[in-house]
Amino acid sequence: MRKLELYFGPQHLGMVGNFSITLNVEGDRIIKAKANPGYLHRGFEKLMEYRTWIQNFPLVCRINVVEPDHMEMIYAMAVEKLAGIEVPERAQYIRTIYLELARIASHLFGLWAYANMLGLDTVAQWAMYHRDLILDLFEELTGARVYHIYIWPGGVRRDFPPGFKEKIIKTLHSIGSCVPDYNDIFFHNKLFYQRAADIGKLNREQVTAMGGVGQVMRATGMKYDIRKIEPYGAYDKVEWNVPVRENGDAYSRIMVVRDEMIESVHMIFKLLDKMPGGKTYTRTPNPFKWNIPAGETYVRCESSRGELGLYMVSDGKDKPYRVHFRTPSYSHGLTILEKVLQNESIADVGNIMISLYVVAPEIDR
Amino acid sequence: MDRNQISKWIKSPVKMGHKYSLHAVYFCTGCGIIEIPPSITARWDAERFGVIPVATSRQANLFLITGYVSLKTLKAIIRTYEQMAEPKFTVGFGSCPINGGMYWDSYNTIKHLDKYIPVDGWIAGCMPRPEAIFVAVTHLWTLIDREMADGYKRYRKNYKFYRSNQEKLYGKLEWPPLFQKDGAK
Amino acid sequence: MNHSMKNQLLSLFTEIQIDIKKDNEMIINAAKNAIIGILSFCKSKGYEHLALVSCVDWIEQKKFELVYILSPYPEQEPEFSKKEKTNIILKTRIDREQPEIVSVINIFKNAEPYEREIHELFGINFNGHPRLTPLFLERTYKIPPFRKNFDTREYVKKVFDEIPFIDKKEASK
Repeated sequence: MRKLELYFGPQHLGMVGNFSITLNVEGDRIIKAKANPGYLHRGFEKLMEYRTWIQNFPLVCRINVVEPDHMEMIYAMAVEKLAGIEVPERAQYIRTIYLELARIASHLFGLWAYANMLGLDTVAQWAMYHRDLILDLFEELTGARVYHIYIWPGGVRRDFPPGFKEKIIKTLHSIGSCVPDYNDIFFHNKLFYQRAADIGKLNREQVTAMGGVGQVMRATGMKYDIRKIEPYGAYDKVEWNVPVRENGDAYSRIMVVRDEMIESVHMIFKLLDKMPGGKTYTRTPNPFKWNIPAGETYVRCESSRGELGLYMVSDGKDKPYRVHFRTPSYSHGLTILEKVLQNESIADVGNIMISLYVVAPEIDR
Repeated sequence: MDRNQISKWIKSPVKMGHKYSLHAVYFCTGCGIIEIPPSITARWDAERFGVIPVATSRQANLFLITGYVSLKTLKAIIRTYEQMAEPKFTVGFGSCPINGGMYWDSYNTIKHLDKYIPVDGWIAGCMPRPEAIFVAVTHLWTLIDREMADGYKRYRKNYKFYRSNQEKLYGKLEWPPLFQKDGAK
Repeated sequence: MNHSMKNQLLSLFTEIQIDIKKDNEMIINAAKNAIIGILSFCKSKGYEHLALVSCVDWIEQKKFELVYILSPYPEQEPEFSKKEKTNIILKTRIDREQPEIVSVINIFKNAEPYEREIHELFGINFNGHPRLTPLFLERTYKIPPFRKNFDTREYVKKVFDEIPFIDKKEASK
């Protein structure tokens, strides 16, 4: 059979984000896949060395467009660790609720992409609509739909407005009451099972050797979640479980995403019940003349794709010396994708890529 | 909106057809891809304005360049733009194509998009709301009506200046020039 | 557990300094040729996840500093034991004029894109790496862009602002 070289390139209907894969195919089977990132490279880490610590906050949240909130959180955690700032307890609860809402919104975006790619447009429209309801909540709290800049080093920018707690509960009830409909149409649908079962199968040793994190790891049966290993925020103050599935294929990864969304909704209700009063913000020194003592640190948190880490070096001045983000899509999109696409058919490339939840701006930064 | 005026349809059907069926190329160029799915799904419905995404650039006549443009992306944008059939309209979405935006000092992004391809309109914001896209589409209708949305005509007329700018940036280009002499194909 | 591991490392390798900070971060400073040995030892003790390979440019001291960050995958038990929280940060310094080091790809397979990126952005050569081709950048620069003596604002002025606008009056001549 003839061998061809195809470009699953940046302008393609099955590609979400600006990323390109070169495929060597023979008939319908892929022999070799090569990922070409770099379409979204801005040199973030170099730009951050030219701006002061506070001026970097609007820049940091634009690294990952689908979910900018965890980027702000990780940068604030690193700055607080180096400078020795304490965060008050109410601010920890508010940060946790905010991050869990962002997680639900990001998973709904991933569900839009996956359902659109499979061809089931009804579920795609519903997921985008429910995500818009959560973005309305963000707009009332912070003023913007997409790039919020809400987390400051030392707390959060402002407290909840009056009546906000009831609005969160109402929105989550209206999303949660649609879960049986989602189950009937998508998650318990036999066509979805046939399209996604045994596609892109990975076992635990392969994922460990190639540096997989997040849902890719949790779909193979290991309970790897940074929120339990190194708790930050208010995650150790409520009871919750880590959802896990067994098989390691695309079906298990999407079902882990669904279980995580339901778990997040329950977690937000419990946090809203237990939230204490108090301050939401520790005063930081004058931001124009703020020098952070010299040192280095590595902090990590769990974004909606996996383990997100930040290695930061400071030399005592008012600008960072070196900043390096460890994003979860880096190993998923560059190492795992090339391995798992071998011997699959061309129609499944989008299927596998979205179930690994590769987001292109995170790879290039 | 003059969609209901029958006399206009009879007098200039071609212009009315261009205005009310702008098909956009599905190319997620940069940051702004996060506000395109809300615009094309049920809540902020773009299909009532005639805007739907299509699969290839041969079938499209609207090019929304959403967000910042890096050096690798600009090559893909120029090739996609040259593949589209005339008449074609470009809209720069976000602050970054206008003057570099937040990445004004980055070594890998271009700062002014209209030095390389012609742009008919800009939408400011970081991110603009979905309603801003609809305001831009209605402004584009007015421009098409008055024959002021002539980006593709400018490209044809001034092709050697655009090409020389592209070559100043990249050196030798891999694709041959689109128009051989000024104005002719 | 950390202190016993620290004692084992100190007894096995010379030219090594270990420092344990208060939230269980272990920082190891080692010489260039001991990297492979220390990484294999840590992997055999359960630190199987190579989270990051990074590089810092200390231009005043004329050295590059390579950083390897390891963390363990937790054991299979219903509640994670708190002792598993340590991260290991392994650092080594190499010369800035002729930067060269051996690649760790035989121990950790997912170090491949990290080393490719550092080669492209800092100019460091990794011996034994199978594929050191460009990853993100579209062209080669005279000075690799993430070094401290590359000024990006000067570069932007020189390259991007020199390209002229297409002025309508002038172009329609």
